[in-house]
Amino acid sequence: MANPPKILLLTTIASSYTGANTVGQAREQYSPNTYIIRVPDPVMFPENFYLRCFQKGIDGIIIMSSGSDCPYEGAYARLSGRVARVYKLMKEKSIPIHKLKLTTICTVCKHPFLKEISDMQAAIAKEKLA
Amino acid sequence: MNAPVNTNASVNANATSNPKADVLIIGAGIAGLQASLDLADQNRQVILVERNPSIGGRMINLSKVYPTLDCASCITTPRMASASHHPNINALTYSEVKNVEKHGTGFRVTVVKKPRYIDEDKCIGCKRCEEACPVFVKDEFEHNFGAKKAISIPFTNAIPQLPVLDINNCTLCGACANACPTDCINYTQQPVETVYEVGAILVSTGYQLTPANAKPQYGGDKFTNVLTALQGERLLAPHGPFGRVLRPSDGKIPDNIAFIQCAGSRDQSIGLPYCSRVCCMYAIKQAMLLSGSLPTADITIYYMDIRAFGKGYEQFYQNAKAMGIHFVKAKVARIKETEDKNLMLRIERQEDQSQPEEVQHDMVVLSLGLKPDWNPEAINLNVHTEYDGFVKSPKAPLQPNITTMEGIFAAGAATGPKDIVDTIGEACAGAMEIENHLRRMEWRLS
Amino acid sequence: MIENNCENNGENNGDSNNISKNNISKNNCDDNSDSTNIRVGVYVCHCGGNISDVICVKKVAEGLANYPNVAISKEYVFMCSDAGQKLIIEDITSGKINRVVVAACSPALHELTFRKALQRAGLNPFLYEHVNIREQASWVHKKEPEAATQKAILLTRAGIEKIRRQEGLENIRVGANKHAIVIGGGPAGMRSAISLADRGLQVSLVESGNKLGGRLLEIDTVYPTNEKAEDILETLKTDIRARKNIGVYLNNEIANISGFVGNFQATLKNGETIAAGAVVMATGNKSYEPFEGEFGYRTQDNVVTMPEFHGILCNIRNNTSTNKDFIHNGKHIQSIAFIHCVGSRQQAETHQPQADGKLNEYCSRICCSTTLQAVNEVKKHFPNVKVFDVYRDIRTYARFTEDGLYEKASKNGTLFFRYTEEQLPTVQGKNITVKDVLTWNEEVTFEAELIVLATGIVPNNITNIVEKLKLPIGADRFLSEAHPKLRPVEVANTGVYLAGTCQAPMDLVESCVGAAAASSKAAIVLGKDHIELDPYVAFVKPEKCDGCQKCLPECSYVGAIFMNKDGKAEVNPALCKGCGACVAVCPQRALDLKGWSLEQIEAMVDAIAEA
Repeated sequence: MANPPKILLLTTIASSYTGANTVGQAREQYSPNTYIIRVPDPVMFPENFYLRCFQKGIDGIIIMSSGSDCPYEGAYARLSGRVARVYKLMKEKSIPIHKLKLTTICTVCKHPFLKEISDMQAAIAKEKLA
Repeated sequence: MNAPVNTNASVNANATSNPKADVLIIGAGIAGLQASLDLADQNRQVILVERNPSIGGRMINLSKVYPTLDCASCITTPRMASASHHPNINALTYSEVKNVEKHGTGFRVTVVKKPRYIDEDKCIGCKRCEEACPVFVKDEFEHNFGAKKAISIPFTNAIPQLPVLDINNCTLCGACANACPTDCINYTQQPVETVYEVGAILVSTGYQLTPANAKPQYGGDKFTNVLTALQGERLLAPHGPFGRVLRPSDGKIPDNIAFIQCAGSRDQSIGLPYCSRVCCMYAIKQAMLLSGSLPTADITIYYMDIRAFGKGYEQFYQNAKAMGIHFVKAKVARIKETEDKNLMLRIERQEDQSQPEEVQHDMVVLSLGLKPDWNPEAINLNVHTEYDGFVKSPKAPLQPNITTMEGIFAAGAATGPKDIVDTIGEACAGAMEIENHLRRMEWRLS
Repeated sequence: MIENNCENNGENNGDSNNISKNNISKNNCDDNSDSTNIRVGVYVCHCGGNISDVICVKKVAEGLANYPNVAISKEYVFMCSDAGQKLIIEDITSGKINRVVVAACSPALHELTFRKALQRAGLNPFLYEHVNIREQASWVHKKEPEAATQKAILLTRAGIEKIRRQEGLENIRVGANKHAIVIGGGPAGMRSAISLADRGLQVSLVESGNKLGGRLLEIDTVYPTNEKAEDILETLKTDIRARKNIGVYLNNEIANISGFVGNFQATLKNGETIAAGAVVMATGNKSYEPFEGEFGYRTQDNVVTMPEFHGILCNIRNNTSTNKDFIHNGKHIQSIAFIHCVGSRQQAETHQPQADGKLNEYCSRICCSTTLQAVNEVKKHFPNVKVFDVYRDIRTYARFTEDGLYEKASKNGTLFFRYTEEQLPTVQGKNITVKDVLTWNEEVTFEAELIVLATGIVPNNITNIVEKLKLPIGADRFLSEAHPKLRPVEVANTGVYLAGTCQAPMDLVESCVGAAAASSKAAIVLGKDHIELDPYVAFVKPEKCDGCQKCLPECSYVGAIFMNKDGKAEVNPALCKGCGACVAVCPQRALDLKGWSLEQIEAMVDAIAEA
C-alpha cells in the first residue's frame, strides 16, 4: 500500500505555530499526515527550498505566515513575492501549483487552519486520481 | 471576599519574614502585563496579582483590534507568555488584594489566593477533568453565549493552563478526580492568605462595561438579539462561541444590524457624563468585521459625534464609510422587540428631517461605556477617586500615573476610559515613574 | 491508571510492525556533519496518558534508540516533573549526552523548563530541541494511534536532525553608553530628560529655539485643569535645573547623527560631539498653516489661526487697563466664530492638497478641546461677546473635557453649527455660511467680527535627523512607531524612541505619557552594563561570501547587514532581528540564521520525507 501523501506546514513562531496549538487545545481532529515545522519566518526559505521539498517526497506545502501580524518589517511582502517566483519555477518544472499554498494563520485561527489542511488533502487526492 | 480563611494561612500572614518584591501590580490585563514587563526588564522583582484565573484581562477576550485589525489574541498572548516566563515576574492568578498598609517606605499587601480545588503544582493542563465533568455552567468568557464544564480551563489560550472547579455548581460526583492522571483534584482546598512586602504598587485594574440595562429603554437585558459590545466581540472572534456570526435567538444569519453609540456614556441621567473614548472605534471595527463576514448585510451606526481621534483612526472611519457602512446622526429613543425577535428602533434624526421614525433591525449591538472595575477606597487605600469613579491623578498633565498616595501609581483604564494603544503607553510610563520612585526611596530588596 | 497501551494500538490497527525498530534505525540518513562527539539524549513524555493513550511512546523511544548520534532514548510519565528533569540532568552530568530532545507538549509550556534544566547541568541551554507531540499529534489524531505514533517518530527524528547540527549559543551583548540624547525641548522632551536623569543616566537635551517650552510657550491656560501654561513650564524648568546630569543645549541642533543602540554619535550645530546609548525623539509639532484664502486667511484681516488667537487673548488679558473688553486691532469685538477641523480630516472631494500633494487625512485630536477651552475663556471674561462654534464632530474624549468643556460651552450661550465634509463652510468678510446639520441641513448665514480657525497640528520639519537615522515616516508625515501596540514608542531601529507629538497629535497629558514611556524603553536598554539581545540573528560565513551584495536590499533594518572592508557581507548582530530575509537570497549560502539554519530545516524536511 502506498504511503499517504505528506503535507508540510511551515509555521511562524509569532502566530501560526500557536494557532496549531490552539487547534490541539480545542481537540479538533485532522489528518496525521501533516508535519509542522516552526521557524521565525518563512521568508528565510529560498525558491529552491520548496522545489527540494517536492523532490524529496513532500506532496504538499502550506506556508502559514503571520500576514499582517508579522513582527518583521517587509517580510510578508518579500515572502509573497518569493512564492510567486516559486510558482513560476513549479510551472516550468511541471509541478502542479496546488501543491504549494501561501496563507495567513493567526494564533486562534482554528477553522482556517483546518480548512487549509482539508483543502490541500483534497487537491492532492484529486491530483493522484488524475 | 466572603470565602473562609484557614488558620494556617493566618499564621503565615503573621510570620515575620514576609516574601518581598519591588513592585506589586494589581490587575494583569494589558496595562499590568506591560508595566510588569517594563519593570522586570529593569531587574525589578514584580508580583502581578490577577483576580481572574488567567492573565490577559479584557484584551484577550476581544476579536480583532483597531486600527490595524490585528487579531487581539495574537498581540496579547506573546505578552502573556513573556510575563509568565519572566524570571522577575511572579504572577498570582485567581488571587485578590485584600488589604494594603504602609510599611516603612513601602507597603504590606495581603493577597488572598482563591481555591481552584486542584493541586496547581501537579496539574498538567490536560483537560481530562473537563472532559469527564457532567455538569454544564454558563461560560463567562463567552459572555454567556454557550456553556462550559463546572471544572474547566477558562479559555483556550489561558495562562496558566489550569482548570478552576466551580464549587457552587459542582455535584461532587468525583468524575474529575477519577479522570485526573496526576491525582490533583482537591475538593476541600481553602483560600490562602499571604502578606507581601513591596516598595511600590501599581493599580491597573481596568474597566467593566456599563450594565446592559443602564438605559432600560434599550432592553439590553431583555431582548435576546440586543447584544452588549463584548458579546459582539465574541461573535466576531476567530475562535468565538459559534464559529461564525449568527443571531442568538434563532441562529439565523443577521442581515440588518444596528449599533447604538453612547448607549452607556455621555449621559448625565445614568450617571455617566463622560465620553468612554473607545466605543466609536470598536463599533466601527465590529461593523467592518461584520461587513467582512456578511458582505450583503446592512450595517448602520447611530451616533452623535464620531470620535476617531487616535493615530490612523480617522482614516479607519473613512474606510468604513467607503465600505458602505451607514453612519446616521440620530438619537435612538427606545427599542421594542417584535414577535419574530426583530427590533424596532424609534429614532430621531439630527439631519434631513425632524420627525421621529421607526426602523427595524434584526440584531442590535449596544455601544456600552466603560466604568471602573475596582474602587481602591474599598480596601482602605488612601488612593482617591474622582467624581467619575476613576482613580484621581493629582499631578495630571505632567505625571498622570501618580495617585493621591505616595508610592501607589495607576495606569490604563483605572484612571479613565482608554483604548489599548493609550493604555500600553500609560503602562510603560507608569513603569518609569515606579522605577524612579524606588530609586528616590533607595528601596532595597534585602 | 497510567499504562502503556501499545498492545491495544497493535490490536486495533493490526499492522503496527510497519514501523519496526529496524525500519527506523537503518534509515539512510547519511551523516554528513562531523558529529562523532555529538550524543543526543531523547526523552519521550507520556504526559500522564495525554500522549501515551494515543501514541505508543515506547515504540517512539525504542525506535529512535539506534538513530545516528542518539546515545540515550527513554520514555517517562511526566518529563516536566522534577524526577523527569533529573533524568536529563543525570545523563548530562554523567557525560552520556551533550544534546537533548524532549518529545512532549507544546514548547510554549516547557521549552524554557528544559533549557533551564540543561543550564543547571552545565550544558549550553540552546543545545535543546523541543518536539511537540501533544497539541500537534496525540490531541489532534485521537482516532489514528498508529499514524500518530509514526508521526511522532518522524517529528522527533526531525528534532534530532536539527539539534545535531546545533552549536551552543550565547546572548548577544552590546556595550551601552549610559547617556541619552533628547532632541526637542518642549514638554515631552523636558519630561523625558527628567525621567532619564532620575534613572541615573546622563542626558543631553537639545533645543533649536532660544528657550525651553515648545508649544507651551504659545498658550495661556491648559485644559482640563485650567492651569496657567507658564506655571506648568516653570515646574518643568525647575525640575531640569535641579538635575545636574541634564545638559541643556539651546539654539542648537543635531548637525549629524549616526550609530546604533548603545552607541550613537551626534554632532551639534556648534561643533560639540555627544556619544550616547539612546536617542529620544521629542521634536514636536507646529500649527497647520492655512493656505492664502483658506476661509479668508491672509486675504481678510478678521481671520486668524488658533495660535494667533491665543496671542491676542494673552495680550488683552495682560493689559489690565482695558481687559474688560475684547479689543483687537483697535476694534471692539462683539462676536467671534470658531471653525473646526482646519487642516485636519481632509478629503479629496472637498479639500485642496498640501504643498507635498498629500491631504491631512488625520484628526489632530486636540483642536476640539482647545477650541472649547478658548470658547469658554471668552465667555468667562467677555460674557457679552457672541460666540459661534462651527464643527464637524465634537471630539471631547479626554477626561473631564466632555462635561468640563463641551457641556459648559453648551450652557454658556455658545451657538453651535455643524457642517459635514460634503460642504465646507464659506467665509465672506464677516459672513459665514454653513449648511447646518443641526437645523436639518438648512443653509445658515451669520456674522462674526473675528473668525478663528481651529488649525490642526503638523509635525516639525526634521528631515535632517530622519535621513541620518533612517527613521520611518508615515503617510501622515509623523514618525512611525514599529507597531502601535507591540512597540508603541519604538521604531524599527532599536535605540531610538518616540516621545510626544513627533509621532502623532497628542495633548499635554498624552505627550507626557509618551515621554515617560519612551524613557522607560531607553532605561531598559541603558539601565544595565550590557544590552542583552536574543542570539537568533543572521551570520555570514566569510569563506563562502563572494560579495555579490544581493542580501543588502532584502534587509529592512538599517545597518543590520553591510559590506565590510574585505568586500564581504557582515551582520551587525545588535541590529539584526533574525527574520532570515537575507538568508533566502544568498546564492552562495554564505548567510544563515543562528538557531534556525537553512541546513537544519532542510535536514528536518529530509527526516520527515524519507521514511
